[in-house]
Amino acid sequence: MRPAAIIGTGQTDHGRCRDDVSQPELIREAANRALADADISPADVDAVVLANMEMFEGRALPELWVGEGAFANRKPCLKVATGGTSGTSSCIAGFHQAASGLFDVVLVIGFEKHSEGHTQTGMALTDPFWDRGVASGALGNFALSISQYMAERGVTREQAARVAVKSRRNAAMNPHAHLKDANATIEDVMSSRVLAHPVRLMDMCPQSDGAAAIVIASAEHAAKLCSRPAWIKAAATRHEQPYIGDIDRRLLTMRTLRDAAQSVYARTGIREPLKQLDVAEIYEPVTYAELAWYEVLGFCAEGEAGRLIEDGITEMGGELPVNPSGGVLCANPVGATGVIRVAEAAAQILRRAGAHQIDGARTALATGYGVYAWADALILGSTP
Amino acid sequence: MRHQVIIAGLGDTESALEDSRSIPEMVLAAVQTALADAGIDYGAIDSVVTASVDLFDGITASNIAVTEVVGAVMKPETRISADGLAAIAHGACQIWSGAYETVLVVAHAKTSMARYQELTQWAMDPIHVQPLGVDFLTCAGLQARLLAHGDAGADRRWAQIAADRRGRASRPLAPASSVEEILASKPVALPLRQGMCAPMGDGACAIVLRGAATGAQGPVLRGIGYDLEPHALGDRDLTHWHGLERALQRACKTAELQRAYAHFDFAEPSCLFAHEEELFTAAVKLREDTEISADGGLLAACVPVVAGMSRLATATRQLRGAEDGGRRALVHGTWGPVAQGQVVAILEGTPL
Repeated sequence: MRPAAIIGTGQTDHGRCRDDVSQPELIREAANRALADADISPADVDAVVLANMEMFEGRALPELWVGEGAFANRKPCLKVATGGTSGTSSCIAGFHQAASGLFDVVLVIGFEKHSEGHTQTGMALTDPFWDRGVASGALGNFALSISQYMAERGVTREQAARVAVKSRRNAAMNPHAHLKDANATIEDVMSSRVLAHPVRLMDMCPQSDGAAAIVIASAEHAAKLCSRPAWIKAAATRHEQPYIGDIDRRLLTMRTLRDAAQSVYARTGIREPLKQLDVAEIYEPVTYAELAWYEVLGFCAEGEAGRLIEDGITEMGGELPVNPSGGVLCANPVGATGVIRVAEAAAQILRRAGAHQIDGARTALATGYGVYAWADALILGSTP
Repeated sequence: MRHQVIIAGLGDTESALEDSRSIPEMVLAAVQTALADAGIDYGAIDSVVTASVDLFDGITASNIAVTEVVGAVMKPETRISADGLAAIAHGACQIWSGAYETVLVVAHAKTSMARYQELTQWAMDPIHVQPLGVDFLTCAGLQARLLAHGDAGADRRWAQIAADRRGRASRPLAPASSVEEILASKPVALPLRQGMCAPMGDGACAIVLRGAATGAQGPVLRGIGYDLEPHALGDRDLTHWHGLERALQRACKTAELQRAYAHFDFAEPSCLFAHEEELFTAAVKLREDTEISADGGLLAACVPVVAGMSRLATATRQLRGAEDGGRRALVHGTWGPVAQGQVVAILEGTPL
């Protein structure tokens, strides 16, 4: 596998409704910031990869209209759309394209403008024979899995609430985050309204408008263009069977994420992730999922996730800070969400994460997740 | 030196105006044929790239519908929302990068489930254009109007192209017609008439790409190039396929071919309207002995999204059947209004 690296990142200021910009303008905002961060011009971009879930805006082939905003006019441009993993999968697609020798510099941009559509409707457009009548979307799916998770592993509502508090506190240091609250309390989370038992409002990720971009360069160009690139050391994708009932205890086992993580760990010599990783930006759609992912990603043994959050291991000053950006719980423009994970992980290696920079970060994990239990995992590092 | 990418196996369903099977059933048939053709089973697949468009399928993440039948459970799958040939381009990149050795590429669409042209309105600029009710057919009509301006013989030439192409197809989705019948067919976006448009149907296509290290045999995918034109029709020169010229330039560069001297024995263009074949031949500057659309091409039978991949399948069959083996084919795909997205692949047969 040829190496490639991230040399710049850019994000919009995500929010509930960015009605000050159109979709192409939203994308341009992130693209401009990524190119400025990489200190290159649009002419230096050889190819563009976009990520978006078009049904959330009720569109078809959105890259046709928004391409200009992405500096993609008269350039090779493709759109990746794989549900929640669209963002991370588009980053991996950009990685493969830059490593293929076809392109030297690839711009990857994920975007979503949930305020222009109806997300639950988009999510309910599933298998017309078996799933559509249930119209469960993300929430019903999580509620079922979380009840199983709590029952089997003894995770408590309070432990989950700690994840939400950590997230909002971290987000307060992130200028791009949608939801931030440095003073959020466990009581705030536990008294927020129930969406679908046991999930409460503050346990769940929001629907945001936003875009995020990364600039990936082939090895030779990365070394030329950036003094300290964030090298993409390994990437893995795993998809899963589509029906909830086909995989027992899906959230607990999450065999896709487990397998993807084991694959990237094996290729980068990571045997003790908690010790060897400096920072993780994981795709946690709901508080309980972050806890479940701690176990799946090997940060702790099964049933130990609650202790990890209680002991502050994953807080900013802990042994392995998880989601210093505030994570998905604080900004969720779906097509961009996975790109944000990779961009935030890269910014940590590039030492450009600002107030939520983890000192000395050299090895970072980024993950992607989709409601059908699809998973992506990437390891970024300060050396090729 | 870039790894060689081999077209190791192909399978497709026969295009039909309405295929009674579900999307996964159609895809399963195509995939099983492609795997058998490549002499491998699901276990040999390292990665899957699918091509589909959610709004056309009426499903969010319509690759969910095919995850099992493409064998992507616990495997990498990437879904490209564009023409299937663009998915081939990405699959080739995965092999060239060294990430995977064997990539299954699958495209599918069922136009019988919905009114395709009406859905294409939702791909148009929603602020300035979509409210006018403009769809891909309207755009093609505007382009044809521009091309026919001051060219009194244009519609007859286009009718001739459509009649020729449909006449050579074994099972066209629209009946073979004479030039006069096409000129008298229903006007759909004048000067375009029904007979000058590709008839739309249902279908699926699966192709196995393998790196040369696997020992796979078959035509070699030498070059790939693609391009996205500006969206606003007013920002484009609608009388030329400049996007195709750029895509071909890139493909020749990948294939390490001198564009000016690149000769193609076969050309498989994606022409949804008869006038597009003239835009194609002008852009790629083919020699007169190049055989174009051996099986009638899309003017005989077109499944959106599958379109460019179906051209790759036809070109692969041509190269496999060529007596001396060592021939070169140009394969083409498009997506979007008046071919906003353009993709080409250069294939070479193995000399016998």
